[in-house]
Amino acid sequence: MKGYRKYFGKKIIWLIITFIAAVLLNFILPRLLPGDPVAVITARTAQGVSEASAVKQIYEDYASKFGINKPMHVQFFSYCKNALKGDFGLSFSQYPRPVSDIIHDAIWWTICLQFPAIVIGWFIGNFLGVLAAYIRKGFDKILMPIFLFFSSIPAFGMAIILLVIFGIHFKIAPTSGGYGFDLIPSFSFKFIGSVISHYHLPFWSIVLISIGAQAVGMRSMSIYELNADYVKYSRFMGICDRKIVGYVFRNAMLPQITGLALSVGTMVGGALVSEIVFSYPGLGTVIYQAVTMSDYPLLSATTLIITIMVLIVSFGIDIIYAFIDPRIKAAQFD
Amino acid sequence: MTTPMLEVKGLSTKYVTRFKENVYAVDNVSLSLEEGQSLGIAGESGCGKSTLALSLMGYYFPPLHYMKGDIIVDGKNISGLAPDEVRRSILGNEIAYIPQSAMNALNPTQKIINFIEDVIHAHNPDMSKMEIYQLAAERFETLGLSADVLKMHSVELSGGMKQRTVIAVSTILSPKVLIADEPSSALDVTSQKMVIKMFRELMDKGFIKSMIFITHELPLLYNVTDRIMVMYAGRIVESGTAEEMVFDPVHPYSKGLMNSIIVPESGVRDNKLTAIPGTPPNLKKPPSGCRFAARCRLATDECRKSEPKVQHFGSNRNYRCRLTEAQLREEHSND
Repeated sequence: MKGYRKYFGKKIIWLIITFIAAVLLNFILPRLLPGDPVAVITARTAQGVSEASAVKQIYEDYASKFGINKPMHVQFFSYCKNALKGDFGLSFSQYPRPVSDIIHDAIWWTICLQFPAIVIGWFIGNFLGVLAAYIRKGFDKILMPIFLFFSSIPAFGMAIILLVIFGIHFKIAPTSGGYGFDLIPSFSFKFIGSVISHYHLPFWSIVLISIGAQAVGMRSMSIYELNADYVKYSRFMGICDRKIVGYVFRNAMLPQITGLALSVGTMVGGALVSEIVFSYPGLGTVIYQAVTMSDYPLLSATTLIITIMVLIVSFGIDIIYAFIDPRIKAAQFD
Repeated sequence: MTTPMLEVKGLSTKYVTRFKENVYAVDNVSLSLEEGQSLGIAGESGCGKSTLALSLMGYYFPPLHYMKGDIIVDGKNISGLAPDEVRRSILGNEIAYIPQSAMNALNPTQKIINFIEDVIHAHNPDMSKMEIYQLAAERFETLGLSADVLKMHSVELSGGMKQRTVIAVSTILSPKVLIADEPSSALDVTSQKMVIKMFRELMDKGFIKSMIFITHELPLLYNVTDRIMVMYAGRIVESGTAEEMVFDPVHPYSKGLMNSIIVPESGVRDNKLTAIPGTPPNLKKPPSGCRFAARCRLATDECRKSEPKVQHFGSNRNYRCRLTEAQLREEHSND
C-alpha cells in the first residue's frame, strides 16, 4: 500500500498544479479577445438614447456590474472567490441570465452524449481491433481500411456525413436540437422518445470516430502482443486461444487507456463541434455562442468546466493504471 | 523392453514464408527417449534445434507446418490427433515446454498463481482454486522456490527466479517429457547451476519422466544429459552417449563443434580453439548431397552429389557421412 500512497500523492500534486494553471489561463485568455462586449450591451440598452452622458452612465453602470473597471488581478481573485461558490457572474450575451444557470442547463446534455459515446466507442473499437489482429485475413483486410477512414475524419465531418445521409436523404432522424421544438422538457414519454430520436446522430458520429481511432491502435498493439513470448508459451502449455486473446487484450489495452484519456481531452476540438452541427443543446453549442458573442464570463466558465472534467478523467485513469499494470506499482516500490 | 516415453519417427516440418516459400527446417528426424533418460540436442544457431523442439509437441500454428512423421508419446501416436485434442490432452500434461526466452515467457499483467490456474484448468477444469494453490505451493517449496512467488507478478522476480518459476510452472502437471529450449543461455553461471540442479531434482523426484535439453553449450549437455544428438541443417548428423559425443565425436561437423568450444577441464582439449568456417545452408533450397559438404574439409565431389547414408557403429552410435568410421578417425588424427 505504501507504493500506492506515494504514487497517488504524486498524481494529486500534479493534478493541483495543472488545475491552477488551467484556471489562470481560463481567466486570462478570453479577456485578451479583441472587442468590448460591454460596449455591445450598452449599445443594445441605450437604443434611442441620444445624450452622450447618459450612454456613458449606462456604460459605467454595466462596467461596475461586471467588474471590468477594476484591475485584472482584483478581477481574478473575485472570480476565484465566486467560482468556488459556483457563481460565474452574469452572461453578457444572454444578460441578465447567470452563467451558472446556462451551464447547468447544457452540461447534462453534453455529459450524457459524450461520455457514453466515447466509452462505448472505446470498448467496441478495442474489441474489433484485437479481433482484427487475431483473425487477420479477410476480416482484417475489410475492417482496417474502414477503421482508418473513420479515424481520419474529424467528428464534425462525420456528423455532417450522417446528417446528410440519415437526416436529409433518408429522413429517418431529426437534423437538429436535443428534442422536438414543439416540446418543453418534462418526464413524459413523448419528450423522452423525442430525446432518444435526437440522440442517435450526434451519438453515432462520435462513436464511429472513436471506434476507428481505437481499433487502429489496438490492432497494431495486439499484433505486437500476439507475437510476444508469453503468448507462445501459453499456447504450448495447452491454454485455449480464447483465454490467450484475453491476455493479449489486457496487455494491449494498457496504452489504449492513455488513448481514452486523450480522447476525452480532445473532445473539445472534435466531439463538441459535432454538437454545433446538430445544434445540440450541450456545452459545445454554448461555447460556440459564447465565442461569437465575446461572452467571456460564459466562455471561461465553460472551458473551466471542461478542463475540470478532463482533469478528473485523466486522474481517474492514472489511478486505474496503478491497479491494472503491476509494472507501475512495482516501479513505485523502488 | 519398456515403451519409450517419446518416440519420433521420420518427423519433417517446414516453415512457409510470406512469399509461400518452403523452409524445410526439420527433415526426417527420428529419436527415442526412455523413461528416466535425458537427451541433449546440440548444434549451432540456425540449424533447426528450436524448430525441432516446437515440432516435437505436435501442435502447429503458422508459419510452422507439419509434413510427415509420427510422434508417439508413451505408446500413443499424437501426430494424427486434432489440434484441439493435442492441446487438451498432450500439451502441458504429457509434453511440457520451456521456451528459449523464459525471461519473457510470463504474462506481465498476471500473477503467477493465476497463470497456473489457467494451465491446470485447460486440462482439468474441475480442480478448485484452493487445491491448485496447495499443489503449486507444495511443488514450489519442494523445488526450492518460495510459495510467496505465486502471489507475485513476473516483474517482481529476478531473471534467475523467472527462469526457475517457468520451469516449475511447466512441470506442474508432472509431464512425461519435458522439452527445454536453451533454458540456461541467458543466465549467469550461478543461476545456470541452480537451473541444472532443478532439472536433476525434477527427474529424481519423478516430476518429469524424461527430458530433452536443447542448447549450443556442449559442456552443459555433458553435465546434464545421457545422450547427445548433433543437429545440422534440419537433420541429425550424429548421435551417441554424452561421453562419447564430447570426447570422441566422429562426424566432421560434431568434431568441429567440439573443437570450437572452450572446455576448462584438462586433457579434454589441448588443441587450439578452432571454428567451423561458413554458416549453415539456406533451407529454402537445401543443397543436394551432404548438407555439410560446403563447409566440410573432407568433402569430395561424391559428397556434393549424393546424400550420405546413416552409418552405425559401437553400441548405439549413428552418424550421417559417406566415410567409414575408420576413415574419419584417421582424418581427425591428422589434425
